Amino acid sequence: MKVRVDMTMCEDHGQCAIAAPDVFRMNDESKLEYDPNPDDSLLAEVEEAADVCPAQAIFIED
Amino acid sequence: MTATTTPDYPSIDAADLPYLPVADPSFSVQSAAVREARDAGWCARTPYGLAILRYEQVNKLLKDRRLRQGSWAWPQHNGVEGPFAHWWAGWLLNKEGQDHARLRRLLNPAFSPKLLAALSPRFVALANELIDGFAPAGQCDFVSDFAEPYAARVIAIMLGIPEQEWPKIAEDSATLGLALGVTFKQELPRIEAALESLFAYAEQLIADRQAHPKDDFVTRLVQAQRDDDRMTHQELLDSLALLIFGGFDTTRNQLGLAIKTFLDHPDQWKLLAEHPELGGTAVEEVMRVNPAVTWVTREALDDFEFQGLAIKAGTTVHLFSESAGTDPRTVENPQFDITATGRPPHFGFGGGAHHCLGHFVARSDMSVALPILARRMPDLRLGGEADWMPLSGNTGANSLPLAFSAGH
Repeated sequence: MKVRVDMTMCEDHGQCAIAAPDVFRMNDESKLEYDPNPDDSLLAEVEEAADVCPAQAIFIED
Repeated sequence: MTATTTPDYPSIDAADLPYLPVADPSFSVQSAAVREARDAGWCARTPYGLAILRYEQVNKLLKDRRLRQGSWAWPQHNGVEGPFAHWWAGWLLNKEGQDHARLRRLLNPAFSPKLLAALSPRFVALANELIDGFAPAGQCDFVSDFAEPYAARVIAIMLGIPEQEWPKIAEDSATLGLALGVTFKQELPRIEAALESLFAYAEQLIADRQAHPKDDFVTRLVQAQRDDDRMTHQELLDSLALLIFGGFDTTRNQLGLAIKTFLDHPDQWKLLAEHPELGGTAVEEVMRVNPAVTWVTREALDDFEFQGLAIKAGTTVHLFSESAGTDPRTVENPQFDITATGRPPHFGFGGGAHHCLGHFVARSDMSVALPILARRMPDLRLGGEADWMPLSGNTGANSLPLAFSAGH
């Protein structure tokens, strides 16, 4: 699967890193880093991350 | 970790910082003293630690994991033990790290924005029903006639309980709210009784949805599961009681503050009536310039240095949401304008790991209500003397008499 975060919308709250820690993480500067090509087995948690994102900035493109 | 001052950030001596008496009832987060302090620098001293005043630094510190949520030890600070202290310690807001992440993962999906769209027509009907009650008279007390029943009945709708039971939600939440004030310890017996009442309520709801699952919010909480992990019964009770308490006061207060903002901007009220699609941006703008939560608190976990300032472990840091939201260094033309585009996000819902869990609900119910109010209360003006809480901490109106052209 392909994951894209619109960084102009991202507010760095880190809710995605709570929902899907295998794909999203907050670095030492509290900025988002993520894997744009996670394994398909992680789809459920990535969908959850996209859903809970306060800024709705995460898009899944298969 | 070494704490070094980079050349970009000259060392700041805390003793040189301006002082803001945040605990004084006459203190206002919108006072000239706060504006002067914000012009002088990004930080000020308070009787309980620091106040952060500019957008850039509030934004960074809100998400900085060297700080934890700031009111976790409030019951202990007040010498309070027992059921209330136990409930407080179990709050999502007062947990950190893996404990916080686990509970947040279990709670977040119930608040999905996808599930809220279906509730929007009910929010519309509720707003109209409440306005029907006072529109013919052309006057109301906005707090008791609209903000309170609206906030409490939105919670009733979310919980799937009869809406006529709203006064119970309002009364128990208001009593629990005493725990945040100076009379916390004296009021403890009443506060504990209100908590017990909310728990009994939550207990009934949980038992009902376990026996009769529905397609609703409480069923989603009861059934929430992640990697074979579920909430314990106590966690469900604690969370439901927190959601009722956390959703009521804040929404009631924010609605009153929205009206206050529009009373100062009658042209924008008229515009909102004509353009209900601006309801969403109206909510964001109101929360930027008049947030009900005027500061978010954090507490330093360790000694660390931030932009030249040494912050000691245990220091309370007040992140001023309105001061940041109107900071002209970051926000261009910071005056209230519901047609503005490209605004940086406000901090009315806090931010970072503790970002408000119920923000999609609050955004949805307020963005529905404000345009309806604007359409049905034209020529809005104050109808008497309003009673406001101090403009600090968590603020809002106790009463807000309004007058407007009748019969819309």
